[in-house]
Amino acid sequence: MNPFRDREINLTRRQLFGRTSQGIGVVALASLLNPKLLADTPAAAPPKSAAAFGGLADLPHFAPKAKRIIYLHQSGAPSQIDLFDYKPKLAAMAGSELPDSVRQGQRITGMTSGQNSLPVAPSIFKFNRVGENGVWMSELLPHTSKIVDDITLIKTVNTDAINHDPAITFIQTGFMQPGRPSMGSWVTYGLGSENQNLPAFVVLISQANALNRDQPLFTRLWSSGFLPSKYQGVRFRASGDPVLFLANPEGVDGKTRRDMLDTLSELNHITEQTYGDPEVTTRISQYEMAYRMQSSVPELTDLSKEPASTFELYGPDSKKPGTYAANCLMARRLAERGVRFIQLYHRGWDQHNDLPRDLALQCGGTDQASAALVTDLKQRGLLDDTLVIWGGEFGRTVYCQGHLTKENYGRDHHPRCFTMWFAGGGIKRGFSLGETDDFSYNAVADPVPIHDVQATVLNCLGIDHSRLTYKFQGRHFRLTDVAGVVNKKILA
Amino acid sequence: MQKPKILDILSADDSFQTIVRFTMRTWLYLSATLFLGAPALFPAAAPTIDFDRQIRPILSDNCFTCHGPDEKRRMAGLHFDTKEGAFGKPDVIVPGDSSKSKMYLKISSTNEAMRMPPKAFGRTLTPVQIETIKKWIDGGAKWETHWAYTPPKRPELPKVQDAKWVRNPIDQFVLAKLEKEGLHPTPETDRITLLRRVTFDLTGLPPTPAEEKAFLADKSPQAYEKLVDRLLASPHYGERMAMQWLDFARYSDTHGYHIDSAREMWPWRDWVISAFNKNMPYDEFTIEQIAGDLLPHATQAQIIATGFNRNHMINFEGGAIPEEYQNEYIVDRIEATSATWLGVTLGCARCHDHKYDPLRQKDFYSFGAFFNSVKEKGLDGYKGNAVPFLQLPNKEQADMKARLLEAIKEKDAEIGKAETRWEDEQRAVEAKDITAGLAARYPFEDSLANETKSDAPAKLVGGKMGYTAGRIGRALDLTNEGQLSFPGAGPSATDKPFTASMWVSVGGPSGMTLLAHYDKLPKDGPGYEIAVDYCNKGNCNIIVRMHGADPAALLETKSVEGIELGKSDEGQTPQHWDHVAVAYDGSGRAKGVQIYVNGRSVKTSVLQDRLGAPASFGKGELQIGNKDWGTPFKGQLADLRFYDRRIYAGEAYNLGLLSPLASVLKIPETKRSEDQKEWVRAYFLQQAGNPAEQQLGVDAKQLQRGLDQLNREIPSTMVMAEMDKPRDTFVLRRGDYQLKGDKVEPNTPAVLPPLPKDAPRNRLTLARWIVDPGNPLTARVAVNHFWQMAFGLGIVKTSEDFGSQGDPPSNQELLDWLATQFVSSHWDVKALEKLIVTSATYRQGSHVTPDMLEKDPENRLLARGPRFRLPAEMVRDNALAVSGLINDKIGGPSVLPYQPKGLWEEMAFGGDFSAQTYVQGHGDDLYRRSLYTFVKRTVPYPTLNTFDAPDREKCTVRRSTTNTPLQALVLMNDPTFVEASRALAQRDLIEAGPTTAERIRYAFRLATDRDPTPKEAAILEGLYKKEMAHYDTDHGAADKLLSVGESKRNPKLNAAELAAWTLVSSTILNMDETITKN
Repeated sequence: MNPFRDREINLTRRQLFGRTSQGIGVVALASLLNPKLLADTPAAAPPKSAAAFGGLADLPHFAPKAKRIIYLHQSGAPSQIDLFDYKPKLAAMAGSELPDSVRQGQRITGMTSGQNSLPVAPSIFKFNRVGENGVWMSELLPHTSKIVDDITLIKTVNTDAINHDPAITFIQTGFMQPGRPSMGSWVTYGLGSENQNLPAFVVLISQANALNRDQPLFTRLWSSGFLPSKYQGVRFRASGDPVLFLANPEGVDGKTRRDMLDTLSELNHITEQTYGDPEVTTRISQYEMAYRMQSSVPELTDLSKEPASTFELYGPDSKKPGTYAANCLMARRLAERGVRFIQLYHRGWDQHNDLPRDLALQCGGTDQASAALVTDLKQRGLLDDTLVIWGGEFGRTVYCQGHLTKENYGRDHHPRCFTMWFAGGGIKRGFSLGETDDFSYNAVADPVPIHDVQATVLNCLGIDHSRLTYKFQGRHFRLTDVAGVVNKKILA
Repeated sequence: MQKPKILDILSADDSFQTIVRFTMRTWLYLSATLFLGAPALFPAAAPTIDFDRQIRPILSDNCFTCHGPDEKRRMAGLHFDTKEGAFGKPDVIVPGDSSKSKMYLKISSTNEAMRMPPKAFGRTLTPVQIETIKKWIDGGAKWETHWAYTPPKRPELPKVQDAKWVRNPIDQFVLAKLEKEGLHPTPETDRITLLRRVTFDLTGLPPTPAEEKAFLADKSPQAYEKLVDRLLASPHYGERMAMQWLDFARYSDTHGYHIDSAREMWPWRDWVISAFNKNMPYDEFTIEQIAGDLLPHATQAQIIATGFNRNHMINFEGGAIPEEYQNEYIVDRIEATSATWLGVTLGCARCHDHKYDPLRQKDFYSFGAFFNSVKEKGLDGYKGNAVPFLQLPNKEQADMKARLLEAIKEKDAEIGKAETRWEDEQRAVEAKDITAGLAARYPFEDSLANETKSDAPAKLVGGKMGYTAGRIGRALDLTNEGQLSFPGAGPSATDKPFTASMWVSVGGPSGMTLLAHYDKLPKDGPGYEIAVDYCNKGNCNIIVRMHGADPAALLETKSVEGIELGKSDEGQTPQHWDHVAVAYDGSGRAKGVQIYVNGRSVKTSVLQDRLGAPASFGKGELQIGNKDWGTPFKGQLADLRFYDRRIYAGEAYNLGLLSPLASVLKIPETKRSEDQKEWVRAYFLQQAGNPAEQQLGVDAKQLQRGLDQLNREIPSTMVMAEMDKPRDTFVLRRGDYQLKGDKVEPNTPAVLPPLPKDAPRNRLTLARWIVDPGNPLTARVAVNHFWQMAFGLGIVKTSEDFGSQGDPPSNQELLDWLATQFVSSHWDVKALEKLIVTSATYRQGSHVTPDMLEKDPENRLLARGPRFRLPAEMVRDNALAVSGLINDKIGGPSVLPYQPKGLWEEMAFGGDFSAQTYVQGHGDDLYRRSLYTFVKRTVPYPTLNTFDAPDREKCTVRRSTTNTPLQALVLMNDPTFVEASRALAQRDLIEAGPTTAERIRYAFRLATDRDPTPKEAAILEGLYKKEMAHYDTDHGAADKLLSVGESKRNPKLNAAELAAWTLVSSTILNMDETITKN
């Protein structure tokens, strides 16, 4: 009873061949070509061994270790000194001035450059040795501490930017100024989609737990820049339609929608015959993809079939739509369904003041779910081909911003070292890379610039970062701009 | 078959690359066809090799990185970007003999280690490319300068066989090319399709039924020309032309960076619409936008026009460094100006010499120097428009402003009279100073003397200090890290009562210690301090801390209301005086601490209250500015006093208000400082005056609020304005503002013609240079933009890049003819538009045959008419227009139509900034044309963004046109389109005849301008019957569907019928044909 079926079977060589400036909707075309998909009902699970739909012909460049990415971006910049980068010597230096020999004249932000003193603020949090290798980790991360044997920590990531807007734009797009495609756009442009019922690049946003709820987000962080806009990330929302305009208007039920689509298809079919334009064929199939999404997205966001053990694992917040925990669970469900790039943002990590209070709140809202995601993926055998990334856009200063007391302090932006962690496909387990000085100020061993992080992430996906390019304005652009070296030390 | 070969041939289109991997069968098919067929446009069989099209792209793409214009990266001293470089060494390229040419031998070497380009470089030449180079060398290695850098010469009209087809010279060039390729033009499309096509192209709207009727009724041979003239004269023409221009100009209603609050640039947008409507010649249009402010006797409109280069993003992120963003604004102006007018991307030369084109890094910064003298700040915009901007009151607002200013003046005089009367009474009153228990007093009258103990003055122990005017008398200036010690002053133990009293002007935004006394480091105590907390919205709380001997013993109290921060404006901090007194009773308990601000007790909150056993403060001294004890105080201090007792409320009132006020009242009014005048007046109006007098103050405030409100309502727009003394501009190494290289003067790129020798080096000269007929790029780039609007693709497909990496023109003679024609017509845009849309080329049918698709998939040879999906704005405008909902008002502030809830709020910074919360408009605002929809850069409007409208962060010269499932969701479910479907259905039921057939015909015709075929009508009728039956049994569903949107549903119409027709209308609005220009 599917009128499209005939169309699909009748698809001619000419339509296949046809290309216009607009290009053919790749995902849709792919599903037309895959007879297996024709049998799929919208809610059915995607084929396990689904080949990529869309993507560049010469990709992957080599055998990938990971097929997909879940990027847990902690927006605002978590304090590495209070979470990962244990600096026991600081206790004795509390309140003393940060030595010039450490700062070395490096620039500081307009928020503390007016401060006449840069007093050292040791972390008030306890650190423990965790995991088989006895990695130091803060008491604020009891759950992450438990998965430490599954992750690689890099303590020496460094960036060029010193404020949020350029820094988050840099880590997401490889350039501090707007206009470049985001990492997720590059990946979906290069590798295409692993499924045909959901977008290839999905964005989930969760709000701060801290009382100071700073830091805005920008669409440019998941935009496609100069790549065609179909590679832009699709925001999945916790309130209203999960995907914008997904639901039929009230008063239009599924059958009416199907009637309407069948009619539309017949009419568009006539247009296609009249004009011979393959874009019409694509449009027909895009409506079918939209129709499939109307079933697959609600199925995805319906957590009623998750067992109680899932919610125990992710914590009670995971039942509240839109929380970080619920989004982590959603990320696993998206990964299961073959979404290529899942980008989470958690706001509120900008602790300029009241750090002890707000950092604890932030960790309270995220630690269990971040760890649960890794555990859950591992239990399901998905961690082997999923790469999980955790981290902010820069680190925080060892010196106090504002008034320093024993109980309270704040930290400004610090670009020269911060900690990120990675887990899963292609990455070593139970490993820590990089050493910083006694002040967590400068990297003293294995510095890892942002472009190296990006090159390494792409490498896990089987992509040579220097060869995934797009010609725009006469130049072959790439995620890593003119830099980037794959960090082999963290690769499994 | 080797994969790379095919990809090379087709690398221009990413979407193609994505397709070719699907099946092996396809793969083989494509490989065979393409490899053997070679590029359709430029067949390899051509007798001679075309250097520009066939050789330079190979060299530029594969060799220039190491052998190109960038001298620093150049390898082996060899470069192929200029003729001199390529033939400088005799054995590199030997014209006529590839076997002796080292260059050829290198690229064709079978030895991988020897072969160029090196493997590590990541790019390889295909056998076809190697063969092409061989042919070129063997054919004599003819070298040409890149076509785009040579001024266009007006070409002869080529000879054609089918001269009857030709309507104007455009057709002659197009036909000549088609005949050469053995192709034929498609017959002219039907009149209705043509009407619809040209109406969209020239107004962005569909034709109305009346316009359609009139055109069809006009049987004269000039009917089409008359139609074109009517459209070019339509006020909506300017709107359609502006749509593309707003992309170039990165027009937006928000600042873009970080907090992304609102700005006002719509007066500039309206200027663009009006300029196109007036058919302002393109050279004037250019000059006014780049340098209208510098024209002699510049009009207001000419100054508004300069907003083009104020549309860039502006930042005020807390902590950002002004110089960094000042530099980004310049970079953005360079990029937008060069991409818009010159079709070259100078942006590539930001960090180093251009790799492919003869553009040096120095050229980039010299070009930027033209834009580096704007009176702007690196960080600005937190309250709306950033300086410089122009206020644009309408008549009513200007009158209102004058009236308000007059009323304020009158009220002021009235207050002045009353105040004088009051003062006369006051002068007799003496306020006694509080001296009981005064243990130390430092008046800071140009000295550090202690009035009560002449042998114990304060002393400077570090940094610098000075003296300045205070509220009364002099004050200590501590803006330069001065550190002072006060021997013997203040309490000595936690159980000693005391009062500290002082005048303070806060000069730093961060939390600061005002004064402190600690025994040892770190500041565990024992000791005490009085500090200014973080200032929130200009209000700074006062904190009192007292530490006992045990580190945990702490008393901490914070005032809930605080003192005002001095208004900081780019480093300048005007004083703002407040009196602060802290009184403590020695009880060791927080409730024993009271804070007074300006003589009044303020609410406090207790943060810590566990001081414990009494403790002595030890040997240390009271200090101000000790870095070890917290961020030192920055600002001014006056009349610092310590009492060795706790003072009471009445005394505090005397200390903080009455005594000092009395001393001010003794100063003759004419000799008072502004601060003193304000202070006395505030006291009179708020506290001392009788109720009638206090009411005067309330009235004055209300008037002032009215004026402030009016000032906010008066629109403004950001403009260019020159600094008196321009900033110096430097080459920045790696593009980093911190790495200044050589200083540069304003100049244009060396590869292009020079500026006139004696002209001043300013924007006006630059603007005139851009539109000088000798400039090889401007006219070509402009006609290409206008061509792109009509045909979907430019004659140069890469309309943003005419450089050597760009796509060569599909028909250079045509491009050059149009460019020279445009200049000789005095840059007449409407004439050019008319030429394009009246050509036979434009009027062709847009049907495509399989054969044509294979030969020319992108329609670059133009053997058929244009067919592509409407741009985002037109997709929405079309639905509003055919449904009759549209409000076609032109210009004015941007509007906020339907948008899903929470989209902004989930991502926005929030707080008091503008454009953080989406406040949806109502009524007409919902139905305005899409170019008036508010553009928030960090959260683009989803309906338009889904159809490829750019986010306007950067200049966009060419949009992508995608075809996605999300577009289907918008068209089916976005309330804009659901409401439009219902409105179209209502219109249909009222305006069409009573039969189903008539109604289907009418709705279909409104949306597509043609009658449905019987088959199409039957398909729609089938749907109507199904849905009618459905809604007839489910009135609830019908009511729900009909309630979407704020426009009123026609209550006279039967709900089930209207719902069924709404569904039919929605189907029609979703049709490919409806959203496509055929």
